[in-house]
Amino acid sequence: MFRTTLKNLAARKLRLLTTSLAVLLGVAFMAGTLVLTDTIGSSFDKLFADANAGTSVLVRGEAAFSSDMGDQRGRIDASLVGTIEGLPGVAAATPSVEAYAQLVDRDGKPIGNPGMGAPTLGGIWSQDRQLSPFALDSGRPPVGDHEMVIDKGSATKAGFRIGERASVLTKAGTQRARIVGIATFAGADSPGGASYTLFTAHAAQAYLTEPGKVDAIRVAAASGVSDADLADQIRAVVPHRTDVLTGAQVTAEDQQSIKDGLAFFNTFLLVFAVIALFVGSFIIYNSFSILVAQRSKENALMRALGASRRQVLGSVLMEAVAVGLVASLAGLLAGVGVASGLKSLLGAMGIDMPGGSTVLTTRTVVVSIIAGLGVSVASAVFPARKAAKVPPIAAMRDVAIDTSADGLKRPVIGIAVTGLGAAAMATGMFGGGGIAPVGLGAVLVFLGVAILGPVLARPISRVLGAPLPRLKGTPGLLARENATRNPKRTSATAAALMIGVALVAFITILASSTKASVARSVDRSFTGDLVVDSGAQGAGAGGLNPSFAAKLAKLPELGAVSAIRTTPAQVGGTGTMVTAGDPETLQQILDFGVTQGSLDHLGRHQIGIADLVAKEKGWKVGDTVPVRFAENGVQQFTIGATYEAAEQGGEYFVGLATYEANVADQFDTKVFVDRAPGVDLATARQAVDRAAHDYPQADVQDRAEFKQAQTGEIDMILNLIYALLGLAVFIALLGIANTLALSIFERTRELGLLRAVGMTRTQLRTTVRYEAVIISLLGAVLGLAIGAGFGWSIVRAMSGEGLDTFSLPVTQLGVMVAIAAVAGVAAAILPARRASRMNVLEAITAD
Amino acid sequence: MSTTLIEPIATDPAIRPGVAARALAATKRYGSGDTAVTALDAVTVDFRAHEFTAIMGPSGSGKSTLMHSVAGLDTLTSGQVFIGDTDVSSLDDKRLTKLRRDKIGFIFQAFNLVPTLNALENITLPLSLAGRKPDAEWLDLVVETVGLANRLSHRPSELSGGQQQRVAVARALASKPEIIFGDEPTGNLDSRAGAEILDFMRRAVRELGQTIVMVTHDPVAASYAQRVIFLADGRIVDELTEPTPERVLDRLMTFGD
Repeated sequence: MFRTTLKNLAARKLRLLTTSLAVLLGVAFMAGTLVLTDTIGSSFDKLFADANAGTSVLVRGEAAFSSDMGDQRGRIDASLVGTIEGLPGVAAATPSVEAYAQLVDRDGKPIGNPGMGAPTLGGIWSQDRQLSPFALDSGRPPVGDHEMVIDKGSATKAGFRIGERASVLTKAGTQRARIVGIATFAGADSPGGASYTLFTAHAAQAYLTEPGKVDAIRVAAASGVSDADLADQIRAVVPHRTDVLTGAQVTAEDQQSIKDGLAFFNTFLLVFAVIALFVGSFIIYNSFSILVAQRSKENALMRALGASRRQVLGSVLMEAVAVGLVASLAGLLAGVGVASGLKSLLGAMGIDMPGGSTVLTTRTVVVSIIAGLGVSVASAVFPARKAAKVPPIAAMRDVAIDTSADGLKRPVIGIAVTGLGAAAMATGMFGGGGIAPVGLGAVLVFLGVAILGPVLARPISRVLGAPLPRLKGTPGLLARENATRNPKRTSATAAALMIGVALVAFITILASSTKASVARSVDRSFTGDLVVDSGAQGAGAGGLNPSFAAKLAKLPELGAVSAIRTTPAQVGGTGTMVTAGDPETLQQILDFGVTQGSLDHLGRHQIGIADLVAKEKGWKVGDTVPVRFAENGVQQFTIGATYEAAEQGGEYFVGLATYEANVADQFDTKVFVDRAPGVDLATARQAVDRAAHDYPQADVQDRAEFKQAQTGEIDMILNLIYALLGLAVFIALLGIANTLALSIFERTRELGLLRAVGMTRTQLRTTVRYEAVIISLLGAVLGLAIGAGFGWSIVRAMSGEGLDTFSLPVTQLGVMVAIAAVAGVAAAILPARRASRMNVLEAITAD
Repeated sequence: MSTTLIEPIATDPAIRPGVAARALAATKRYGSGDTAVTALDAVTVDFRAHEFTAIMGPSGSGKSTLMHSVAGLDTLTSGQVFIGDTDVSSLDDKRLTKLRRDKIGFIFQAFNLVPTLNALENITLPLSLAGRKPDAEWLDLVVETVGLANRLSHRPSELSGGQQQRVAVARALASKPEIIFGDEPTGNLDSRAGAEILDFMRRAVRELGQTIVMVTHDPVAASYAQRVIFLADGRIVDELTEPTPERVLDRLMTFGD
């Protein structure tokens, strides 16, 4: 029996290859993701180890709290450097600053995008070669306040040369400084894509922090003193709430933070690999079902000749093992290529990753083989069982006709599984069960609809194919009949495409609903005309110098001008973002929709809270909540107001005085502007544009542009997800091509007959092509229905969190259906060609 | 062999009136060199219009190859084949397909019908492929003759083997082709159903004026024809008119294999 399997495989090398391809692509993507993240991880590990190699001990402020933006800590006194230098175990100590500083290129555009990409930072050029991770590539160290060293990455990107003067955006305004040196970071052009501007210690404190304050102190131990001993010595002299770490701890922490970031990235990509494998499993299932059906006579003969059921089962599974092995091993190889492809894809989206030699770990190999083999064998189990059930007598009979659509068992099971999936999704979305039940529910819904498929396939395909006989005559009629003659096969083929289309439709609907919700929230709460956006978000990302808003406020063309700032903070024990602004002017342009209390005279220890947060936490006006900023300890704040406009006003709102008293760096993230009475929009905008000239990161937007900018990120993510889901759709198309090829092989005599009685090659191709189109459209229609269902549910589930408008992007969904139809045509190209080139006489006399 | 009536070798390729199809020095060889097998060895034969001709011969005699070549399903190594005055051997696939569709009817031994089409759709298949409307009167007559009037909406799987072959006969007749080729059309049927089909074929020639060429190895089937051509080793070795099963069997014995 084993030998028969091998012979089968050898005789059908091409089919083995095409079937394997369905799983191979998924494995390749999975392996590629693992290789990429391992490679990035290992190059970062090395980078940080090298960067911290000379540092024995690092001293910094204790983490006040942790938020989405990482640990938030206050600064320390620069005078500590002297204290530490005086200790006996210290060879050298150097202050370190890590604060917002953004270079401006020769065209006046800021380099980098700290709101979205790697940070743009400024620091102190350390004279100590051992303690500094930076080393001069060319030039010399800075002397005086108007000289700087920049990282080689930024210098290359902007084409800066030594001796050139450039602008740097800092909290102290735009600084002009001469580039006197270009440096590398632990041998790399830049620390993981971040840009660095390095000043003298004096200038750095003046521009980036404040005189007397630094972010950390790096210390080198004297010879014979261990890092741990030195740390103990230092701990004894530093004030309370100061963190003292050994170099090894710093390296481990840096590496861990990269690992955490990569883990998210890894999971994100792996989700798509799993989707691809899930889609691939449908194709394996379908291919094996067709093969088993075509080989049922052969299997029956084997049974008649004395093979046991187990042997038949085993022979089919052996073939699945072979498919799985080919897919896993080839996928693993291809994965190395995929890794570099993914890297360029991410690079094209503005996410730069450091290079390094490719890392192929044992885990990657094992995971890839298990995934490829597992998916192949698991998908072939049902078909194999079916093969084993073939009675020996079937050898003497014609192949049984497909009766899968009959009976009530299938619809009952299908509806039950779909319902179970929907229920699981509901508990995840509405019951607060999280992402796991949603994912599991989605898988169950797909399986349930796939089980229902054979019941749905015939009626839906009939409707989809209804116009074909009129449009394409007999070839059209035959296409429709072929698509409906074996509903099980048609639906399993379509199901693979259904998954991809459902996910694409879902995220498209989600994106369009989000955009509609944002537009609605802007319309509802923003009453002004213009917004100046810095693009910055959160700590360290910088923003607009407050002098800009002050400048705008003086312009006669403008009415109300009010800025908001944001900072990480801890409110009621939770790390979050707090928004600040002047309530009086802000409320002239921004309608907060205050539901209780008043924002008008928000005191120094008062806070406004969005309704959705108040509801979730059970807070009301008059309650006291603990608030902790990075710089100061916990303070008790009274809730002064609750409001609706969480999207524009933020979830937590404090007055400007509170912000200034508690946050080290003052940057405006956005400035809202209203024109003066009688001034037209164009004039007002011109005035703002002129004022913005000296603020390179200022992006002046009217209402429409503002709405668009708020959702610009969505389009970028949407495109990335489209690209990643493209793989699942492509695999589904391979499935269509594979099914058609197998069907054509099975229908050889019928096609021969058709050709003999006068069907032209063109007509035959038309028949195959439109069968594919019907299958694709069936998948698209089912996918759209599921995607719309998913989209509607998530909008319902998140209606309290700003996603309050369900928007069905009819045009985009229509385009999707059209693309599916075209894709069907593409999938049919090779099978149709093969069918039309068949030798008529051989076909009609074939067994 | 002296008693047989072999057609004089026609050297003039132009078809004469009353001839529906002709093979001219038709030769078919498989392989090359020492291993070459000659399936057809310079066969020249006319199939007269409005006549029912049977081609007989032992397996490997070339009878199927002859029929397939004349019907435009197979290509010759050398020689020519004419349907009406069309030189079949000169046609490309597209023209050949149209020729089969418009001028030739086929009845195969098995798998004659498209399973997804009903009886009527199968009968009119060549016409609908051509985008032509069937001649309603003729179609009624054909359907009437083969006795399928109440089975037209049935799919092949709902018809018996005999009924399926009747649909095939009706399809072959529906487009009023110049010639109908039958490849062992009764080979898969029991004798009663077979006799029925052969009777329809004979009536199609006698009453409807059709031309039929049928390959068979069954002397009884051959006896329905007006003329029987015997092939052996790729050559025409004998011919018989107004055959009876006994005479056919006799002849077969003479050069039996």
